Amino acid sequence: MLIPYLGSQITNQPKCLVVFSEVRMGLGAHFLASHNISANQIRATAEERRRAAAEANQQLEDGDEEETTVVVETSELSLVVATEEASPGLTTRGRRAAAVNAESAQRKKEKEQKAIDKIKASKKFQKRKREPDGSDDDDDLAQALFEQHSAPLPGQMGNCELCGKRFTVTPYSRSGPDGGLVCGPCGKTLDKENPAPKKKPKQVTGGAVGRRRQVQSNILDGTFTLGGKTLATLCIETLAKNIDLAEDLGDLPGPVIDKIARKLSRHRLLNPTTLSLFLQPTADEVKVYDGAKLTVDDFFRIFRTVPGLKKLKVRNGVHFKDEVMDYLMSRHIELDDLYLHGSNLISEAKWKEYLEKKGKSLQSFRVYWTDKHFTDDVLAVLPTSCPSLTRLKVCHNQKVSGDGVKHIGDIPTLRHLSLDLREHVHSDVYVELLSKIGPNLKTLSLTRAEGVDNSVLDALHTHCRSLEKLRITDSEVMTDAGFARLFKDWQNPGLFFLDLQKCRQLEAARPRENPDHVGLCSDGFRALMAHSGKTLRNLNVHGCRHIEAKAFEEVFSEDSVYEEMSKMEISFCEEVTDFVVGSIFRSCPNLRELNVFGCMKVKDVRVPRGKILVGVPNARGMVIEGVDDFL
Amino acid sequence: MAFNGNSGNGAPSEYITLISSDDFEFTVLREAALISKTISRTLSNPMMEARTGVCHFPEIRGVVLEKVVEYFHYWYKHRDQLDVPDMPIPVELCLELLMAADYLGMDSKPASRDAF
Repeated sequence: MLIPYLGSQITNQPKCLVVFSEVRMGLGAHFLASHNISANQIRATAEERRRAAAEANQQLEDGDEEETTVVVETSELSLVVATEEASPGLTTRGRRAAAVNAESAQRKKEKEQKAIDKIKASKKFQKRKREPDGSDDDDDLAQALFEQHSAPLPGQMGNCELCGKRFTVTPYSRSGPDGGLVCGPCGKTLDKENPAPKKKPKQVTGGAVGRRRQVQSNILDGTFTLGGKTLATLCIETLAKNIDLAEDLGDLPGPVIDKIARKLSRHRLLNPTTLSLFLQPTADEVKVYDGAKLTVDDFFRIFRTVPGLKKLKVRNGVHFKDEVMDYLMSRHIELDDLYLHGSNLISEAKWKEYLEKKGKSLQSFRVYWTDKHFTDDVLAVLPTSCPSLTRLKVCHNQKVSGDGVKHIGDIPTLRHLSLDLREHVHSDVYVELLSKIGPNLKTLSLTRAEGVDNSVLDALHTHCRSLEKLRITDSEVMTDAGFARLFKDWQNPGLFFLDLQKCRQLEAARPRENPDHVGLCSDGFRALMAHSGKTLRNLNVHGCRHIEAKAFEEVFSEDSVYEEMSKMEISFCEEVTDFVVGSIFRSCPNLRELNVFGCMKVKDVRVPRGKILVGVPNARGMVIEGVDDFL
Repeated sequence: MAFNGNSGNGAPSEYITLISSDDFEFTVLREAALISKTISRTLSNPMMEARTGVCHFPEIRGVVLEKVVEYFHYWYKHRDQLDVPDMPIPVELCLELLMAADYLGMDSKPASRDAF
């Protein structure tokens, strides 16, 4: 083989040798590491060799002038060139060195081949090969093992694949585009060019416990059902999650928009921006379920954009204050339904002014959570300024007293009345009220009426003829006889909704004795079921703990059927047993949910399929969703 | 006439066909499609749809109807299970799908599972 530019080729030789030494280093990495040979030592010898090679070059160039051709003996070259023995024989081999470069690739390949053969014969390879998911191609696998084997380990020196510089390999060294390692600076530029793919954030599933908790939570929320959510619900949830992408809800039907509004408020996402989605100029109803983030201007905007507003509902309307009332009065808006929750900044004078000015059209007026400014005097304005008021609710109010309640009696149009007051109101006030407006009342709700006594029950019995929904809670003085008198021969048709929770004796010293039969006890319960059992849909006798098991058994006997009943709350009725619960499920075929918190005698009850029993005091958890098919 | 209408012996086929505005046809298990109140009403009336088992939805696009059909199967598969994972809804179809759900009467659960 003729090599014309011998000199330039020969200068490459020392490099070749260094490359070989590194291949060996790579191959022998395990060996070296295990024999405690340091990389520094190897580098030192390599540099020594390089120096020697440079000297040899010098000699070679001297002799170059005589020799122009070199005969390559391939047989010799095919031998593995051991760098350790390179230095002494360098001069002679230097003469053949021109060929070395050309042959180096081949030599490297052969060496690689040898190593691969060795790997193929190794135990590790055989083991890997048996694994089914591995590559079925022997050569591929061996090659992979070889490459893995030959990469420098952390702490050793390597040559950068890109710039060729030597650097110390660390566990953080990046691999270059061809699989080799690159040095720190090159790695950084590589990172900039194509950053390593980000790890996907781990999805929080909550695990088995989290899911179980979610199911329990849904049951207690009353949103529990078997099977998946409805398509509409899924869509609304997706929409609520991405509400910032929505510009307009289009011409969706009202109930759907209302659901979206509720969903958003639940996540506290209703703000000035999202409010716009729900303000449709043609609508006559605006429901703000969470107005905590709305400012005075946003309320102005509601009245500006929806000129035909008739029904307004604002919950958590903190900024619904005097200015807003002023603005509302200045517009041509005649509300017939006003629902304000938590609007504590409206002054007494403004309430009165509004009612006097705009009360004429008002049919439904509901005010929740006010402390100082919604007073007796405001209620006093109602009879004269609101001639068509049918629904009045004053809840969580700290100011209204008996004087105010008296005025309510002067509203002859009233059909629905709910009061939840903190001030004490004497029973006589209620008796007078019922004698005036009782005959037409459909709803009466007296929440936390602690001092209210039997005279109110008697007034109900005498005056009420169209009551459908009755709630009297927390009374500590009403007696069993009073309840029995109310329901016995009551001219009022059967009730749909009855809530007598916590009408019971409060006696800490001797809780089980109840000589005066304070609260709803057995006779009252029998009488109420005899009167309203057939029509009741929702019954709450929570905490009426003196109702005896015998009364329950009689009421829910084998031949009594209460078709309408869908929800019952009998928590903290001590006498309720497994048998009573079973009887209730038998007598109320359409019962969906039964609450039995604190009924300690309920132990192991069979729940029919699709029915929910909440509050069982056992280790299975709070709730049993029935799976038994016996009904 | 579609293959899945009433067969000769009078018993209705267990599959029905839904056709979108852009003429995509979807064949669904009849029982699964009954979750839609609109479809169940249509099929219970003595109308052409009830005989042939083919319903046309000129207001619903194919991509949307496809998602609806996917929901039918999702609902049918999970109808008796507790704690069902939510079906993913593509955001861009959300509003249209909501309209379709409203139109098909899929905004509330069937009153009782015995209805099916």
